[in-house]
Amino acid sequence: MLDFKQKLENYALLAVKIGVNIQPGQTLVVNADIVSAELVRLVVRKAYEAGAKLVKVNYSDEVVTRTRYDLAPSDSFLEPPQWQADELEDLAKKGAAFLSITSTNPDLLNGVESGRIADNQRISGQTLAPYRELLMGNHVSWSIVAFPSSSWAAKVFPEASPDQQIDLLWDAIFKATRADQADPIQAWSQHLDGLKARCTNLNDNKFRKLHYTAPGTDLTIELPEGHIWCQAGAVNGKGVPFLANIPTEEVFTAPLKSGVNGKVSSTKPLSYGGNLIDNFTLTFENGKVTDFTAEKGSETLASLIALDEGSAYLGEVALVPFHSPISESGILYYTTLFDENASCHLALGAAYAFTLQEGTTMTKEQLQEKGMNQSHTHVDFMMGSPEMSIDGIKDDGTTVPIFRDGDWT
Amino acid sequence: MTDFEAKLSKYADLAVQIGVNVQPGQILVVNAPILAADFVRMITAKAYAIGASLVKVNWSDASITRQQFEHAAPEVFTEPPTWYAGEMTELAEKGAAILNVIAEDPDALKGIDPVRISNYQKVRGAALTKYREMQMSDKVSWSIVAVPCQAWADKVFPNVPAEERVNKLWEAIFHTVRLDREDPVAAWQEHLDTLDQKANVLNAKKYKKLHYIAPGTDLSIELPEGHIWAQGDSINAKGHSFVANMPTEEVFTAPLKTGVNGTVRSTKPLSHGGNIIDGFSITFENGRIVSVSAEQGQEALEHLISMDEGAKYLGEVALVPHKSPISESNILYYNTLFDENASNHLAIGMAYAFCLEGGKDMTPDELIAHGLNNSVTHVDFMIGSAEMNIYGISADGTEEPVFLNGNWAF
Repeated sequence: MLDFKQKLENYALLAVKIGVNIQPGQTLVVNADIVSAELVRLVVRKAYEAGAKLVKVNYSDEVVTRTRYDLAPSDSFLEPPQWQADELEDLAKKGAAFLSITSTNPDLLNGVESGRIADNQRISGQTLAPYRELLMGNHVSWSIVAFPSSSWAAKVFPEASPDQQIDLLWDAIFKATRADQADPIQAWSQHLDGLKARCTNLNDNKFRKLHYTAPGTDLTIELPEGHIWCQAGAVNGKGVPFLANIPTEEVFTAPLKSGVNGKVSSTKPLSYGGNLIDNFTLTFENGKVTDFTAEKGSETLASLIALDEGSAYLGEVALVPFHSPISESGILYYTTLFDENASCHLALGAAYAFTLQEGTTMTKEQLQEKGMNQSHTHVDFMMGSPEMSIDGIKDDGTTVPIFRDGDWT
Repeated sequence: MTDFEAKLSKYADLAVQIGVNVQPGQILVVNAPILAADFVRMITAKAYAIGASLVKVNWSDASITRQQFEHAAPEVFTEPPTWYAGEMTELAEKGAAILNVIAEDPDALKGIDPVRISNYQKVRGAALTKYREMQMSDKVSWSIVAVPCQAWADKVFPNVPAEERVNKLWEAIFHTVRLDREDPVAAWQEHLDTLDQKANVLNAKKYKKLHYIAPGTDLSIELPEGHIWAQGDSINAKGHSFVANMPTEEVFTAPLKTGVNGTVRSTKPLSHGGNIIDGFSITFENGRIVSVSAEQGQEALEHLISMDEGAKYLGEVALVPHKSPISESNILYYNTLFDENASNHLAIGMAYAFCLEGGKDMTPDELIAHGLNNSVTHVDFMIGSAEMNIYGISADGTEEPVFLNGNWAF
């Protein structure tokens, strides 16, 4: 049994060695809230031990962020963060790796005028697009890990006392990320091998379509020719492996932009831009969202779909068995990094270029032509459940069951 | 709200209203360590309440800075901070106010290769030239305020139980910034008026030279024609007042770059670039430093004066009575923001353009032609003591005491 300090060391090591997989001479950029300083400092140490040239930490503070949303003048949200975007793009072009440590309170922007949030998302999406494209194309190594802030822990464990909330969330994070194991690097290597075998199987089948059925869901998703099923273990432009999400349980590919039809119902709340969207449905016709409903966060969902042309189309199809370790914990995390790994999910917005054969060498126009959606955003939402069935339909019309009762067949 | 929170809130008022004096529609940049989060959050809310268009916080973390100096690749320290400097310069040009919240361990970089530190300061100084010129000519409002950190409090109060040191340093800081007065904002107005009177007297005298005599010190400093004695209260390009240092007890002007001769001895340790330089003497000929010797930190001092040619000359002459409130507290802060306000001091490096008549509107070359020093650095060091006498010499050769036994002679 490892103590807290050992688990935290393991976690930092995983972020550096498995997540961004820092190489000697490489710069590491860490984006983190100031509450996560304890983890950030450990990550910095591990990165230098791995030979990093420089570790550059961009701290933020959710209280300062919220104060801005409450009190700053509206037009200030239209100012593009140009210097920040240019610096990140420059660092990415020079081969830096990017680690985000997420700790945000899911309700951070609850009650903020939605126009401000939408303006900020749109402007920063546009300004940061060149940098984000380098990440989403896997040209550079990037990874996301989590840190339990008190506000987030309170949301996940509302019944526990404030002291316990953080401890409980740490336990859950350590378990889900395998940081509680004596040799977490070995554990990840084994786990990724299992996901790779799933991908190989799906790639060999070359399904033309997937058909999802579940309560409130009857959805057909066509897959583009040359689509590739991937797991989060990726390889950057220099051939160095990295893992974009810790934890990860998914295998995923891109849908054909214009090939989505039917209706899907969410099964977990979605935390987007500091607000929760819950119990929502999306209806698609020829790929585009033509109708939606939401019991909670309808306005937020509307602004997400209206963000740009591509945010009304899907960019990712991901399969996660209901009996994954994260799902079995029975915890609702209110953060996509965890909840998407407990449930089959889809994403509105940009498709990953690497989920198409030779996609990483294609221009945006070429990707679009192949049916890969383009957008300034990419937002996963959860729709898996123990009642979900998924069939794979081949070119010749044969149907192969992939999921039954929420799990791999 | 606890008593401490109430004081912290008043301190934030002072920083926002008196320090940078934020105006509606203005951007406020706050450079701050993460340990000052509570204070910075108050500053943020208060600045927005006044009407700031954006409060941009650049957070730092001493532990990460230390790791960088220890472990980053050597070339990191010679690469200019292009983006940071570019953004700060643009923000200053747009009229942003800049508030620096400091919480410095005087030994933060102890044991670090001094070449790394001086390379870092050199490239940073060079990249920020334009920004610094705007700052030193009062084009923008800027201010420095301090908050304690454990390592700093440990250094200042080694004989106090460890868990009480930070609180003790808070109390000391609150006292120096007049937070223990009923109306701190009014107390500051009154204090700045008093400093202004001293500056007016000196400006009327138009001394040609100052002659400093103290144990280990015999130094003559010529003042340029048109020099202006200034105090902590400044006016930016838009006509808004600001106070660049809190606390401030000094009146100061610029020396004639080539008019400094003799030897001066330090009277307090100087914390520079995370290292302490102590017990040092500096000898000048025609303004230029010709020799230095330090009991502690000789190497750091040599690196400091080798930053560029201007680091071998003086850029500031400041008068602070030995009987100032900070001096009377008898606390050695190991931090220039406080120690310089307890003692007469000089600064190596760049002169303030506003210390010369018409200087705010002069180009760097014109300032140099008028005898003002230019450099990438500006580092104050303390030379005052109870034994110090300073004589003012007028153009006609008459001599009169300005300071006797460490205090104002008039």
